[in-house]
Amino acid sequence: MEDDYYLSGGSEEEDDYYPSDREAESLDGLENEESDAQWATSKAPSSKVITKESLLAAQREDLRRVMELLSVREHHARTLLIHYRWDVEKLIAVYVEKGKSCMFSEAGVSVIELVDLDPPESSSTLMCNICMDDVLAKDVTKMDCGHCFCNNCWTEHFVVKINEGQSKRIRCMAHKCNAICDEGIIRKLVSVRHPDLAEKFDRFLLESYIEDNKMVKWCPSIPHCGNAIRVENDEFCEVECSCGLQFCFSCLSEAHSPCSCLMWELWTKKCRDESETVNWITVHTKPCPKCHKPVEKNGGCNLVSCICGQAFCWLCGGATGRDHTWSHIANHSCGRYKEDGEKKAERAKRDLYRYMHYHNRYKAHTDSFKQESRLRETIKEKVSHLEARDSKLRDFSWITNGLCRLFRSRRALSYSYPFAFYMFGEDLFKDEMTKKESEIKQHLFEDQQQQLESNVEKLSKFLEEPFDEYSEEQIMQIRMQVINLSVITDSLCKKMYECIENDLLGSLQYTIHIIAPYQSKGIAKAEELTWSAQANSNNKCQKISNQATGDLIEIGKASASGTSDESTQLSRKRPRKGSSAGSMFDLNLPAEVHQPNT
Amino acid sequence: MVDFARVQKELQECNRDFEVSGIRVVPNGEANLAHLLGTIPGPLGTPYEGGTFKIDITLPDGYPFEPPKMRFATKVWHPNISSQSGAICLDILKDQWSPALTLKTALLSVQALLSAPEPDDPQDAVVAQQYLRDYQTFVGTARYWTEAFAMISSLGVEEKVQKLVEMGFPEALVRSTLESVGGDENLALEKLCST
Repeated sequence: MEDDYYLSGGSEEEDDYYPSDREAESLDGLENEESDAQWATSKAPSSKVITKESLLAAQREDLRRVMELLSVREHHARTLLIHYRWDVEKLIAVYVEKGKSCMFSEAGVSVIELVDLDPPESSSTLMCNICMDDVLAKDVTKMDCGHCFCNNCWTEHFVVKINEGQSKRIRCMAHKCNAICDEGIIRKLVSVRHPDLAEKFDRFLLESYIEDNKMVKWCPSIPHCGNAIRVENDEFCEVECSCGLQFCFSCLSEAHSPCSCLMWELWTKKCRDESETVNWITVHTKPCPKCHKPVEKNGGCNLVSCICGQAFCWLCGGATGRDHTWSHIANHSCGRYKEDGEKKAERAKRDLYRYMHYHNRYKAHTDSFKQESRLRETIKEKVSHLEARDSKLRDFSWITNGLCRLFRSRRALSYSYPFAFYMFGEDLFKDEMTKKESEIKQHLFEDQQQQLESNVEKLSKFLEEPFDEYSEEQIMQIRMQVINLSVITDSLCKKMYECIENDLLGSLQYTIHIIAPYQSKGIAKAEELTWSAQANSNNKCQKISNQATGDLIEIGKASASGTSDESTQLSRKRPRKGSSAGSMFDLNLPAEVHQPNT
Repeated sequence: MVDFARVQKELQECNRDFEVSGIRVVPNGEANLAHLLGTIPGPLGTPYEGGTFKIDITLPDGYPFEPPKMRFATKVWHPNISSQSGAICLDILKDQWSPALTLKTALLSVQALLSAPEPDDPQDAVVAQQYLRDYQTFVGTARYWTEAFAMISSLGVEEKVQKLVEMGFPEALVRSTLESVGGDENLALEKLCST
């Protein structure tokens, strides 16, 4: 969403106002959508959205690579890829290391070309070893592994396996034969008697690309948008689905960098439980023996009186009379003061204060973040006021840019508090750092964090000013401030991340915490797969087939060599792909950019 | 539905070379081929030698595309067979089943399991512990169980017939029943009583 602001604010004069010597590269993307797109593909660990429609194409891309590399048929490529969990690099590595035949037998692929010297007469009969009946030769099917059984038995076998949820790896019926059955044959035989099951089978194969692939995950949106996200090189990143949901790819919860996934999990759990508060209450208060409200002792002697009027002994909690001296309650005796109880109380109190410190700040920034989202509306208004004014100032992109910078920095700031809570607490790294080390590092980190915080607040202050009512000179002043602060907060965020990644988490020896890297431009929006994004609205089909020529030719080959329904399968799906290509393209662009084009 | 045509053929095939394999499969109960009774001889050179083990077989609807359910009806002391329920831990009866296998080949595998226990993948933890820690005692117990539960009682067939006839069953029925359960006196009695 935030990208909208960048994209809509295009300007030629920008360079004059930005300090050109520093952070120049981070501003490239602000100019127009082309450079933004470039940035997304070249620098960041890019991610792609896979919709129901493009799933087939995404899978096909990998299939084609393997088919070309090993010159195998499609179903063999799929079997290999499922075996290696769609990791083409791994597959290639195994291929280089162990060789083709070893890899094939491990994955259950048999490509022995069986040449039938004398194909049996269609009228002759064969005995099927499964049903032990004599069947006509035309009613038997031979798999790639050379095992031959009657079609009825094959079908029964496939039906049982699909229902067992084993569609991805259906083995040959022969005992100890490891070969995976040809998906084309499965589809053909099953669809004769159970068309619904054949569809289920196809869906399983298709979804294997998501289920078995560690670089692809379903978008965690509720209700589910139907999309999956593929990351290209790093699992530890934050992504935005085309449905608008931003999430941490690694743990699928909300984006939480610079917290590591483990820290975030612990933090959310802690916040949910409010365990510290409960701890504190149990240690610091005692229930009144009469009204049972928790009573805290705020000083004085051990005779405590509740607001209900009941007096009781703080030490044992028992009700007493009111007659007492400093050290003794009349007619009451309950032994000596317990020291470990005191220690426990102090510890619980300290932990709670510590938690509250971090939680309050985390919460404060999250709340400001929410309030500032409303700023977006007021800022829009202010900009339109300014635009309506007849002035020589024409470019107001600095306002929206500043706003985006504010949001991003707030975000980093708010998640930096739970990070600090765990980084310098005793829960996670007690054995990794001495108290002294931890203290030094804490100071180092807090310096960075506080610097960032004060600049973020300044930026927020300037953006909230009613500058649409100001004179041009004042506006120019604010403009300078906002631009400056934007650049400063960005570089401070970057520094804070560097500190976290290198000095704090990087120096740990026993535990590995990986955080999603700082993205100056905000969370990268996942792109649609390129095949559809390049498609033009005129003669779409033509274009797609041009781009995917290799693809189609391979399919042609495959269908020629036996899986004839493969091609019908495709032709059934392609028009859908094509027609939706245009609309999928739209999702990637903010509405205001796209509308003029259509 | 179970492919009864195939089961019928399997039974014929299996009982034809009973002389060689010593393995027999007969219907257990009336007319329905979904419940069968298999018998295997204890392998030579094992504590199970000389015993005849009965295996209760139930065919699932999907047979032969789903594995048959097999369970020892004779009590047996073996790491991979439950001493309580007779449940068998054998891969081909689970995920390694192939429709190309038959009841006879499955029973042969069970027989092979008797001669080659796998204590590292036990069904009965107590037996497996004993097998690993005190092999001699294990052999002794297995031998004792074989003698107590798996030996066709020392009485000859005529004596068994005699005994059952004395209980009041007609001789012809006694003979055919004894035949159908493979000569086991107790099973025959059970069957006679239930009819």
